[in-house]
Formats: sequence, C-alpha cells, structure tokens
Amino acid sequence: MNLFLQQIMNGLTLGSIYGLVALGLTLVYGILHIPNFAHGALYMVGAFMSYFLMVDVGVHYWFAMAGSAAIVAVLAIICERLVFHPLRHSPPIHDKIAAIGILLFLEAVVQMFWGADFRRMSSPFTGILNFDGLIIPEQRLLIIIGALTLVAGLQIFLRKTMTGATIIAMAQNREGAFLVGIDANRVAMMTFGISGALAAIAATLYAPINLVYPAMGHLVIMKAFVIIILGGMGSIPGAIVGGMIIGFAEAFGGFYISTAYKDIIAFGLLVVILSIRPQGLFAKGAH
Amino acid sequence: MLQLKHIDVSYGSFKALNNISMTVNSGELVVLLGANGAGKTSLFNMISGLVRPTAGECEFEGRRLDGLKPSAVVAAGVVQCAEGRKLFPQMSVAQNLMLGAYVHRRDKQGNRRHLQEMYELFPILEEKKDQPAGSLSGGQQQMVAIGRAMMGRPRLLMLDEPSLGLAPLVVRQMFATISQINRLGTTVLLAEQNAFAALKIAHRAYVMENGQLVMEGDRETMLGNEEVRKAYIGA
Repeated sequence: MNLFLQQIMNGLTLGSIYGLVALGLTLVYGILHIPNFAHGALYMVGAFMSYFLMVDVGVHYWFAMAGSAAIVAVLAIICERLVFHPLRHSPPIHDKIAAIGILLFLEAVVQMFWGADFRRMSSPFTGILNFDGLIIPEQRLLIIIGALTLVAGLQIFLRKTMTGATIIAMAQNREGAFLVGIDANRVAMMTFGISGALAAIAATLYAPINLVYPAMGHLVIMKAFVIIILGGMGSIPGAIVGGMIIGFAEAFGGFYISTAYKDIIAFGLLVVILSIRPQGLFAKGAH
Repeated sequence: MLQLKHIDVSYGSFKALNNISMTVNSGELVVLLGANGAGKTSLFNMISGLVRPTAGECEFEGRRLDGLKPSAVVAAGVVQCAEGRKLFPQMSVAQNLMLGAYVHRRDKQGNRRHLQEMYELFPILEEKKDQPAGSLSGGQQQMVAIGRAMMGRPRLLMLDEPSLGLAPLVVRQMFATISQINRLGTTVLLAEQNAFAALKIAHRAYVMENGQLVMEGDRETMLGNEEVRKAYIGA
C-alpha cells in the first residue's frame, strides 16, 4: 500500500512539472498559433539562471527562482519581438523553423558559458517527511504546492482581471478582440512573458531533484508537446490534466513495468489516446 | 465627421474597393446598400484598420484614420459591430460587454454606468448576464454585439448586417433599437441588404456595386428610386 501511495506522490510531482511546462506551451499555441519548439530551451535557460544566481551570485533559492522567472520572461518577450513578430504574416512552417533555430541558439550560448557538464543545484528544502512509512522529500512537496499555486494564480489572472481577459478574448475570437481595441502586440508579449516565467519556475522547482545541463530541455519539450496534443491544442485544463496523465503513467509504468521504458510510456499513451480521440481530450472544435 | 476620399483596397490582384468617396455627417444615420460581395465589409474593415487602403484617405473628425492600428481606431471613437457578431463565445455576456469598454478600462465608474445603460437598452441581457454568450439565441447574440460595440463609447458606430439570419420580428426590434441609438446621439453607418427596413430609419443612403459607389441620396429619393426598388426592395 505504501509503495502504491509513493507512486501517486511521484506521479503528482512529475505531473506538476509537466503541467507547468505544457501550460506555457499551450498558451502560446492557443493564442498565437505558434508551436514554440524553443519552449524547452527556455526551461533549460531557467534552470541555468537559477543555478547562476544561487551559486555565482549567492542569493537565496526563492530570489533565484524569482530572478530566473523574470529573466526568462524577458528573454521570451525578446524572442517574440525579434523572431515571431516579424514572421506573423508568413506561412506557419516559418514559425516552426524559427523556433528550432532559437532552441539551437540558446543551447549553444548556454554551452559556451557553462559547458556541457551535468551540474547539481541544491535547494534549502532537503528534509524528508515521513508519514507513517510514506516518505515525501520536502522538495517534491514544494513542487506540488508550487504548481497548484501557480495554476490557481494564473486562472484568477485570466478570469478575473481585464488584462487576463484580453488574452482569453484573443484566443476565442481574434478579430473580435481587434474590434474592441485590444492590442495584438501587447497580448503576444504578455503571453510569451507568462509562458517563459512558467518554464523557468518549473525548471527551478525540478532542478534540485534532477540535474542541470544544456540538453535538459529535450525530453521535457517532447513530453510537453505530447501533453498538449492529447489534452487538446490550446486548452488550459487539457495541459494540466494531460500533464498529470503523463506524470502518473510514467511513475506507475516506471515502477510496475520497468524504469528503462518510462520515457516511452508517454509516447505510447499518445498513440492510444489519439486513436480513440483524434481531436485530443479537451479540444473545443478545430481552430 | 467621417470623410473618405478616393479609397482603393486590393487583395492581391483583386480590387475590392475602387475609388470610394463618401461622407457621414455628425448625428446622421447613413445606410450602405449592396449585395453580397459588393464590398461593404471591406469598406468597414478598412475604416476599422483591419485592412490598409492601397490609395486614398480616410479622415475622422479631421484626423487621418488610415494607417492606424485597429485599437487606435477604436480609441479615436469609431467602433465596428461586425458581421457574424465576432463575440467571445465561452465568456459570459457581462464579460463580453465589459471587454467592449477595453479602451476605457481606467474609467471603471463610467463603464459601470454604461453597462447599466446597455442593460436598460436590452433588458434580456441583464437576465442572461452570467451565461456564456455562445449559448444565447441569434437575436440576443446580436444585442450583445451591439452592446459590446456601444461600450466602446463610439461617436461613429458601424453596423455590418445586423439583421443577418434573424427572424423578421427580431429584425424589426433590431432596427428600432438602432434608430434609438442614433436619436440618443451616436452617428451610425449601417450596411444592410434589408433595404426597405434600413431606409425607413435612415437619413441618407449609398448604394454599392462591385466595389464602387453607384448611387447616393436621402431617404425619400432612395425609396422612390425605380432601380433601388427593383434591385433591393423587390417591388
């Protein structure tokens, strides 16, 4: 029984991280129709920024997280301004090529400064809680609580504030949004900024129980795409539920089947779900 | 108030608008008649800044509108209620209306007052204010669209085929409301195919064919004109 609960805990942790990364990806896709392959690189830069701020600058974990979120948000906005904005009238394939370009560029820059080595990032939350045999490291608890808080905060921002409403409005009817005077540039920059910050926070939360290295975004972005495809492209609940599905599948599959196959489970699930529901779980009609 | 001088709009090699010159004076209700594909929507989208004119000038209260972003056109006081309504379907009626006031978002008190005025103009919307706009009937959705446009506090309101797809009784109410909005002080430019009903509430009208204005006149002249009757009224 304890082992089972332990896997639920692991599934929640993984699902929280995947959900946060997928949330940023699905926001950008749903509102701007850009499949941002560079999102995994933003995640990686987020981890390195936190590492840099903690190890080289010496600030506290929380400040490193906030700093990294701010830096990556600005970086994402710069990507939007310099790369995606000039491409807004081009065919969709140009966005995809440009996103892969940004991905390679960011990885090369990080590798230039920090090298390709694996690094460990410590966190002040190293304690382990023991609930009658159920072992929960503090960092994992922090990941789950952090993800829940962020998702709730984002929902409040999107549903209850005028600025958040402009993002939803743009996703639901682009022309209608223009006609009420919503500025497309502002919304595009805001969306990229939010997605970058979410990626950086997810990376900072996850890095202490994983490693920091320039290629760390690869598998994460692949899985994030699996999540938003099976959750329904552009759907916010789809990203969260999809993240949890993949997280749980990996935790349980890794334990009951084999850890060696844990990464293939996400892709196997994608094939199964898409053959039953080709539009994804939460899709609300085609774009 | 609104002045168009020799406007051309092209989509690639297709010329959607050809040398359009027209005037809308303050306080008027001007009707733009024309069949499907005549260019009414292109003209509105040009004024709203969604498409750029390839030639000509568009002036509003002495200020150039052409070249401005859509958001700047709304801020200047020209708001379009588009064909097909273009609502935010999963948002509530109240949210749709409040987003109409986006350019005036700092004036919270004024927006609340305007929202109340819209509920007085369309009492059914107050009843349904918490329902998603997409769940309403066609006529009610059109009310939301007009209400949302009015929340932008337009001095010139452009309505693109508000009667499209509505039941005859609802159409009659719609025109009565548009006439009321005009009497309360908003200048209206109304694109319609429903010529008879539109002309009854209009001061003046233009007729558009194949991207060109082919006729202009006040209500009586238009209603009495043999060609207009044949082409648009069917009598």
